[in-house]
Amino acid sequence: MSHTDTDDRAHADVAPGDEYPHEEFGAGLRSYLIGLALATLLTAASFWVAQTKVMWAPAIPVALLTFAIAQMGVHLVFFLHLTSGPDNTNNIMALAFGVLIVFLLFGGSVWIMHHMNYNMMAPVEGGVRMPLQKGVPLQPEPQKGVPMQHGGGGHH
Amino acid sequence: MSSSAAMPGAVPGVVPMRRDPNHLGHHAAGEGETRAPGRGIGGPAPKRIVVGYGFWIFLLSDIVMFAAFFAAFAVLQGGTAGGPTGAELFDLTNVAIETGLLLLSSFACGIATLALNARRPLAFQAAMAVTFLFGAGFLALELREFTDLVARDAGPTRSAFLSAFFTVVGCHGLHVTAGLLWLLTMMAQVLAKGFRPDILRRVMCFSLFWHALDIVWVAVFTVVYLMGAAT
Amino acid sequence: MLGKLTWSAIPFDQPIPLVAAALVGVVLLGVIAWVAVAGWLPYLWREWITSVDHKRIGVMYVILGLVMLIRGFSDAILMRSHQALAYNAPGYLPPEHYDQIFSAHGTIMIFFGAMPFMIGLMNFVVPLQLGVRDVAFPTLNSVSFWLTATGALLVNVSLVVGEFARTGWWPSPPLSEVTYSPGVGVDYYLWAIQISGIGTLMSGINLVTTILKMRAPGMSYLRMPMFCWTALASNMLIIAAFPILTATLAMLTLDRYLGFHFFTDEAGGNSMLFMNLFWAWGHPEVYILALPAYGVFSEVISTFSGKPLFAYRSMVWATLAICLLSFMVWLHHFFTMGPGGDVNGVFGITSMIIAVPTGVKIFDWMFTMYGGRVRFTTPMLWSVAFLVTFVVGGATGVLLAIPPADFVLHNSLFLVAHFHNVMVSAVVFAAFAGYTYWFPKAFGFTLDEWWGKAAFWFSLVGYVWVFTPLYVVGLLGMTRRLQHFSVAEWYPWIVAASLGVIVMVFGVVCQVVQLVVSIRRREQLRDVTGDPWDGRSLEWATASPPPSFNFAVMPRVEGEEAYWAIKQRAREQARLREEPDYEPVEMPLNSPTGFVCAFFATLVGFAMIWHIWWLAALGLAGAFATFVVFAWRDRVEYEIPADAVARINRRNRASRLEALQQARRKEAA
Repeated sequence: MSHTDTDDRAHADVAPGDEYPHEEFGAGLRSYLIGLALATLLTAASFWVAQTKVMWAPAIPVALLTFAIAQMGVHLVFFLHLTSGPDNTNNIMALAFGVLIVFLLFGGSVWIMHHMNYNMMAPVEGGVRMPLQKGVPLQPEPQKGVPMQHGGGGHH
Repeated sequence: MSSSAAMPGAVPGVVPMRRDPNHLGHHAAGEGETRAPGRGIGGPAPKRIVVGYGFWIFLLSDIVMFAAFFAAFAVLQGGTAGGPTGAELFDLTNVAIETGLLLLSSFACGIATLALNARRPLAFQAAMAVTFLFGAGFLALELREFTDLVARDAGPTRSAFLSAFFTVVGCHGLHVTAGLLWLLTMMAQVLAKGFRPDILRRVMCFSLFWHALDIVWVAVFTVVYLMGAAT
Repeated sequence: MLGKLTWSAIPFDQPIPLVAAALVGVVLLGVIAWVAVAGWLPYLWREWITSVDHKRIGVMYVILGLVMLIRGFSDAILMRSHQALAYNAPGYLPPEHYDQIFSAHGTIMIFFGAMPFMIGLMNFVVPLQLGVRDVAFPTLNSVSFWLTATGALLVNVSLVVGEFARTGWWPSPPLSEVTYSPGVGVDYYLWAIQISGIGTLMSGINLVTTILKMRAPGMSYLRMPMFCWTALASNMLIIAAFPILTATLAMLTLDRYLGFHFFTDEAGGNSMLFMNLFWAWGHPEVYILALPAYGVFSEVISTFSGKPLFAYRSMVWATLAICLLSFMVWLHHFFTMGPGGDVNGVFGITSMIIAVPTGVKIFDWMFTMYGGRVRFTTPMLWSVAFLVTFVVGGATGVLLAIPPADFVLHNSLFLVAHFHNVMVSAVVFAAFAGYTYWFPKAFGFTLDEWWGKAAFWFSLVGYVWVFTPLYVVGLLGMTRRLQHFSVAEWYPWIVAASLGVIVMVFGVVCQVVQLVVSIRRREQLRDVTGDPWDGRSLEWATASPPPSFNFAVMPRVEGEEAYWAIKQRAREQARLREEPDYEPVEMPLNSPTGFVCAFFATLVGFAMIWHIWWLAALGLAGAFATFVVFAWRDRVEYEIPADAVARINRRNRASRLEALQQARRKEAA
């Protein structure tokens, strides 16, 4: 290739996952070992939290999500070598955009579908829709012989 | 830019153009713009960065695809249709072993890139082989889990919950399968062609892919298995 | 052996599709035979089919888009004329055929008309405007194009072999589930869209990487032409939105092929989930199409007003705001499905907010024209017509964004009129504005203005004529997709709309005639300087058509409107910039990878549609083998020697110098 990496690291750009070139084998290994240790620790914590009886039950999902996000961060930093340095701005911006979309899509879908199930899929009793109670599964079986009431249409 | 006259090709002694009065908000020059290639005003980036960045945004798009499957899983989780629930089906020990295998595979893949950077062909092939073995082990455990579930009448056609479960986990498994195929291709390429720049770039993309699959797996075991087993 | 495929798949009993398909087939075979007899096949193979040049690929995208726009328009003619004959009568299309036509119309217009057209313009223009030699991944670009062509081919094959979906252009379950649509129609839809969707996604990655990582020296973000900004935003949306479509259609495919229960009515499935996920892609898709259109109008209006774009920065911010907001409005496509007041309220408000940045853009364009020396050429006419008609479409959009109003108007022809109002006046008008504007850059001669203006006026009048009655009849309560109807007060409006279609046909004919006439008169219409419109961005700094390497030396950008600055300097000094030191140029080698991959993708798609499993496996193996062969090659680039570069560039410099001197003589006289 005609291009060569510029020597001036201060101004250069790095690709995601790129270690700095001419890096010592040992120094690189240390980063992966730290990553492995932290990831193992966080995984163990997740599995322990999920099965323990010690913790207050509603806190468990929160703890699990926290550990998961932390572990993703560990992977990004120690395995994918993403940093907050100026040479990584574009990579981080792209990641931020992706995370935003994931959040909008996942959060939006769960929120919307929860409301639609609540309004449209509730059991029909005597022709009157009964709102679901808290703790009842989101999606009860539609009763046999009763057509579901969601409107067909959409737009465009 | 004050130094424009010093740039090659510029004609000295020319007064800069008059600005249009309606030209709201225009700044004539990219002040404060970095001169790094590929960003700011530095001109095109080197090929390695272009390829790495392109693959990086492909991975992000892949993660958005997973997010859609995850959203479907979250919505359909309660749709068990009287069939078995996650708590009844999931074997967390198996999942823990799978997680360990994939993590070690990811680690070995990191070692392979280190070997690649140090230009050690033997270490590279060995690390890639280890990566493959751990990955294949993960896949074998996943396949065993799937066949086991189908045998217990908990296949994907049983309920919407199981459809979503098989799709999320299976989609990740398909990615691992594709990754293993890619891994073998890269081993063969390095063997046949040596450490050529384009092959180095491909290995870089492969390692990105492999690490990203481990990140997706973190979401899988957390959202699907651990939180799913709780309900 | 052949799965579900038998002779009965060919609709011998239905004369219309059969005759139409036979006609198309004969024309297609005739063209291929003609090309073969004339000995052009090697040329086509070498210079176009295997080309990885972004300009060639862009042109092929636009040709695909043009052909498919006409194909989709013929569906529209069928629908409008059928409804005009369906008042208290059965019309001439049987229901199952009519349903396929409105489904095919939407699918083809969105996926194979508008998308390839816009992607083609971006492919052609963006690297030129950025001052670089090609996109980031040239071979991948070719793969993208051929996969899109595969999708278009599959949709059109459905006309002759089997059937197309009868579900509308979004295959809403449970109707699209195998229980209610047991035929291959929905499968054609699914595989055509999946395959072309992969192509679109790769094209998006390619262009984003190009724009963010491959600009000429000095081309900072805020010096990029507006079209590059809108291309960036549009392709970011492709990367973020198309994977959602892929996932959603994959779920439906699993439902249909393997008995999964994502969207079924039984076993806990949820068909509303499909709507939710589909529109999470679907609304960004609207802006994937509209944003590059805004970019085209920005370039055209600025050039033909002889002024820089007004309030460039506000335009950039508006573009990025639309890019983000377009991911927060998707629920307005199903207000009536029961998300409830609070959810509807939130999405109604975001839907109205997204009109604000678009409004900012409208004002920016108007103020760009204000005080300028406006030249009303064909591209400018399309742009001005857009400004007027699009505001109407936008206003009805804001109306529909109000949930209570939507409960009255949803699924009506008012809605149909609204989205045609925005999509046609943004995307189709931009397509033809861009086509006329950049045609000389691509082929070296301008298009005939008289026929272009005739095409514009017929299209504009016809388009207003068709959709104004549809607004009215929608308000009178007529719903969309009616195969026949018996309400007397709807009838005159439907007839009026059908008459408008006739006017539009004249527009299409003029467009075709314009091309033919221009090719015949190409010597008179020749663009020698490479800058026929007095342009402002870097694509006009190259010869028309540009050499394969675009720029002999990479331009150095020293301000916004890079080419305008160069031109002004040349005018003031009455000479060109000093000749650069030429160096050999390395360009990517052509590759048949894209075409071969698309061939295998066609096999996979067709085999999956007809359940021919062995052929699908064979096709997948072939596609993988193609990639390995591609990855194994040792030479990826070829070198154009410095003296060849110099010779080509000097020719362009000579004609530009002559034009410059001519202009000065004229000034002096």
